Amino acid sequence: MTRTLRELWAFFWRDLLIARTYRTVFVLEAIEALFGVAMFFYVARFVDSPQLQQALPQGGGYFAFSLIGFVFLDYLNAAMDTFDRSLEEARDSGTLEHLLVTQTSLPAILAGSAVYPFAATTLRIAVYVAWGTVLFGFPLRDANWLAVASVLLATLLAFSGLGILSASYLLLFKRGNPAKWFLLGVSSVAGGMLFPVSVLPDWLQLIARLNPVTYALDAMRAALLGGAGVQAVWRPLLVLVAFGAVLLPASMAVFSWALRRTKTTGTLTHR
Amino acid sequence: MPEAAIRVAAIQKSFPPARSGWRAFLQPFEKPSVVALAGISFEVRPGETLALLGANGAGKSTLLKILATLLLPSKGDATIAGYDAVREARAVRRQIGYHAGSDLGFYARLTGRENLRFFGRLNHLSETALTKRISLLAEQFRLEEALDRQLRTLSSGTVQRLSLARALLHQPHVLLLDEPTRSLDAIGASEFRRFLKTEVLGQGDNSLLFASHTLSEVELLADRVAVIDAGQLVVCDTPAALKHTTGTTSLEDAFLRLTGRAPQLAQEEEPE
Repeated sequence: MTRTLRELWAFFWRDLLIARTYRTVFVLEAIEALFGVAMFFYVARFVDSPQLQQALPQGGGYFAFSLIGFVFLDYLNAAMDTFDRSLEEARDSGTLEHLLVTQTSLPAILAGSAVYPFAATTLRIAVYVAWGTVLFGFPLRDANWLAVASVLLATLLAFSGLGILSASYLLLFKRGNPAKWFLLGVSSVAGGMLFPVSVLPDWLQLIARLNPVTYALDAMRAALLGGAGVQAVWRPLLVLVAFGAVLLPASMAVFSWALRRTKTTGTLTHR
Repeated sequence: MPEAAIRVAAIQKSFPPARSGWRAFLQPFEKPSVVALAGISFEVRPGETLALLGANGAGKSTLLKILATLLLPSKGDATIAGYDAVREARAVRRQIGYHAGSDLGFYARLTGRENLRFFGRLNHLSETALTKRISLLAEQFRLEEALDRQLRTLSSGTVQRLSLARALLHQPHVLLLDEPTRSLDAIGASEFRRFLKTEVLGQGDNSLLFASHTLSEVELLADRVAVIDAGQLVVCDTPAALKHTTGTTSLEDAFLRLTGRAPQLAQEEEPE
């Protein structure tokens, strides 16, 4: 356990040191977040109406609803993107072979590559929410932080499996991230990101109910805006944990198989 | 008799043919039909240095990658210090230091020290041991200045030395080097060879298996030479014995004669 933590720390520290050499990026991202939040605020002012507020399940107005949908998309993007981007960078920089000849196991290499990107995404989301709260009145006072953290963790577990599947695809076919395209494509319409699923036709609502993103967003809005505790959001949490419990080991098995395949075909470092 | 540091027994390796266009999607699942190694066997004893000598595409890098657990053999067995390179890959990785001979493989925006610390941690070295090993290797490899500079600012030669330092960081007993002086200039290569001979091979039971096209390097470092041609082992003997059996005075002539390229070379050199 200690050894695994040291390995994860080594990856986190490596990525932090690399990020430190691009200091202006932090400032630019904070400014970009401000513009993003301002855009949602003014769009909400334009479209908000009493009827719209009634259609939003957790209250708080369209600004809060859409901002949560947007930052959650960032998280989902990180979970889906991190593994194959790390793999691609390692392959292109020539470090992949050197990582694979160390004594660190493959699951630790994969998990380690994801620690910093997830931490950075969490920080970026915090900046979005901070701008929203300080400048535009995002209603944060009722938030239940334990439930928020539980939902985020369950979301990461649930969607990391899809990210690892994408990395397996990249190992074998060298380009593309079909799982990400599919999930983000479906979720942008049938996931409740920028509008509630109740406005969708019945057949799309059915798809939304099968989509774990819908559960994650419902739980996140309930915890952040409605102050719902862990007990109140146990059902969507359970769905996310079940999704992760099936997908994570399955995706690890697929990744190991893909790695064996590339070691057989000699295409591990091919671009 | 001590266990062989490296044992390669009837190793075969074939790759699927390269494909382009839509057929590239089927490539990962195609049957391997391009032969890279056709049943090679040899042993490297503890403390011994063996050179792999062969033309481009002869199979040298493929063999080194199999031993480094980066490729799976199609048939045959490969063991390092008694551990099987396929079934006990993690134990094998504890025994080896691998150096791919290019100046890639580091994080360009990290310093030499940060890179070494990162890879050392992944090889389970404690922070104290890491600090000691890095300063010892930096002194031996004359890397003191490079340690606190970003990799992207270092010359190829310095990065090569850093790469060798990384391979030795966890004190492996077996070194696998693939064309270790490929991107070095003549002076850098000469210093590198001298360093390898005196500082690395001159100490203890370290075994070295390396591939090289530089025959003077092979003569200087190798106890024995394995000549590989088209995936097959032609002969494995000392440089002196190779010259003696082929009736030549240089390793280059011996190599050309052993691989059947001597007449071809003679024709090419014949004046019109």
